[in-house]
Amino acid sequence: MDRNSPPPTPPKKRLTPLDFALFSAVIGFVLFAGYRVNDVLVYDWNWSRVFNFIIRYDADSQSYVPNLLLYGLATTLRLAVWATVLATIFGVVMGYWRTCENLTLRILSRSYVELIRNLPPLVFIFIFYFFISSQLFPALGVDDINPKSWAVNNGLFRLMFGDPKLLSNFLAGMLCLAMFEGAYITEIVRAGIQSVSKGQWEASRAIGLSPFNVLRDVILPQAIRKILPPLAGQFISLIKDSAIVSLISIQELTFLATEVAATTTKVFETWILVGAMYFVLCYSFALLFGWLERRAAKIHR
Amino acid sequence: MKLLKPIKGLVVAAAVAVTSIAATAIPVSAQSVIVDIQKRGTLRVGMATFVPWAMRDQEGNLIGFEIDVAKKVAADMGVEVEFVPTAWSGIIPALLAKKFDVIIGGMSITPQRNLTVNFTRPYAHSGQQMASNVALAGGFTSMDDYNDPSVTISCRRGATPCNFAQKRFPKATLRRFDDDAQAFQEVVNGNAHATISSAPKPRFWADGYPDKIFVANDGKNLSRGDEAFALRKGDVDALNFFSNWILANTSNRWLDETHAYWFDDQSAWKDMVAK
Repeated sequence: MDRNSPPPTPPKKRLTPLDFALFSAVIGFVLFAGYRVNDVLVYDWNWSRVFNFIIRYDADSQSYVPNLLLYGLATTLRLAVWATVLATIFGVVMGYWRTCENLTLRILSRSYVELIRNLPPLVFIFIFYFFISSQLFPALGVDDINPKSWAVNNGLFRLMFGDPKLLSNFLAGMLCLAMFEGAYITEIVRAGIQSVSKGQWEASRAIGLSPFNVLRDVILPQAIRKILPPLAGQFISLIKDSAIVSLISIQELTFLATEVAATTTKVFETWILVGAMYFVLCYSFALLFGWLERRAAKIHR
Repeated sequence: MKLLKPIKGLVVAAAVAVTSIAATAIPVSAQSVIVDIQKRGTLRVGMATFVPWAMRDQEGNLIGFEIDVAKKVAADMGVEVEFVPTAWSGIIPALLAKKFDVIIGGMSITPQRNLTVNFTRPYAHSGQQMASNVALAGGFTSMDDYNDPSVTISCRRGATPCNFAQKRFPKATLRRFDDDAQAFQEVVNGNAHATISSAPKPRFWADGYPDKIFVANDGKNLSRGDEAFALRKGDVDALNFFSNWILANTSNRWLDETHAYWFDDQSAWKDMVAK
């Protein structure tokens, strides 16, 4: 049997009365806990104030317009997408180095992976932001970019990187996340490359391909099939991890939520809504990637 | 592979050393930040959301006392203002890392902070108030009743009230929170006897929950605070400019009037924030 084909489907199971009893017990417990909240918590619930920070009615234009939290969600999504792209580049280079013969490259990539994987993300991001990225961006001149120049003040740029005034802030958050997630992607890529059997390397060398061609034409195409599913999972966990960069005041969803909570003093509504926003975002990506994976599996068969 | 291990340790150690050297070797700029601001055409102000110093109106724009102050500073300098909302616990490191030019964030002057940053002359005097739970602390007759191991006091981490509470009520149990709203919520819920915060927030909360919260010490402040702009060390020109801006606007009463608008009565601006 081809190893790419899915396992045989197990016979369909029916829900027994016991299952229904279990479900109702769980639902009952959740409802009871929700009902009890008002006993332990003296709190005036006011959802509309916080909803206003997701979407509000603009009297001037007579229409509904997005507000802070939705902008934050967009920033979170942009952060996750760009950080994943950058982290994948780090990951592919470092992951290849991990499998190299060259000792120096192996030491460098191993140090990178171990340093980051053995630090709490919070600590890493704090150190990296204040010590490294504060030197990097002024040196690159990012801070001197005029936010009103046509190169950055256009619709496409705004769509891709957000408000040009916050560019430096955004890039710092993106780089921190990419450095961090890059270490995990390195390991995914390494495992992917190492899963290609040794015979493939030997055979492609034997027919006279250069080391670069071996990698590009023989090894990576096979490795990528192994890499993509965990990479998709890593992207979703990056969306969640991006909440950490609120510590360094990147204007993403969690940071703006702290601002909204401080302004409205409606702490619980804010965090429940923000939790729901993260869930919807992450779960939709999980569904999307699951569907893509099933489709790819069908094509490869 | 065994030979590799010590080398790997060295590489890691070297990487750490390089980072820390680079971090300590931030060059002191010879040029005043005032010149930078004028060249750039924008004043970058570090602040944190804190009612009524800085908060969001219904459209998500920043409003509040220090927002007005920063806007007027920028207008008087002939530049635009750019606010950099920053997490309070990281606001001083962010100033040192040049993420903005000045902190106008209702920061009280303390000797410990003053070792790291320079303060201008104060532009506001707000002081600390205590909001107490009616059921738990309603029977207390003197402020010393709070100095007891059975009393829990909540406060915002890294802020002056926490230090104040520790000194004034050393026997009480302190519970630190990341933001004020959580610290107040603990008092409303009856999990803490009281919370200490900058005036007038405790009063606003007592207005919001009249049967749950009252302002202790007969509504009077527990201490007087001196809030000032914070600047990086070694910039005499900027310190002189901002201090004298505050002096001039204290003399012409602009600061007093603006302070009164935001602090005395929240009905003037409540509609902008609440719904």
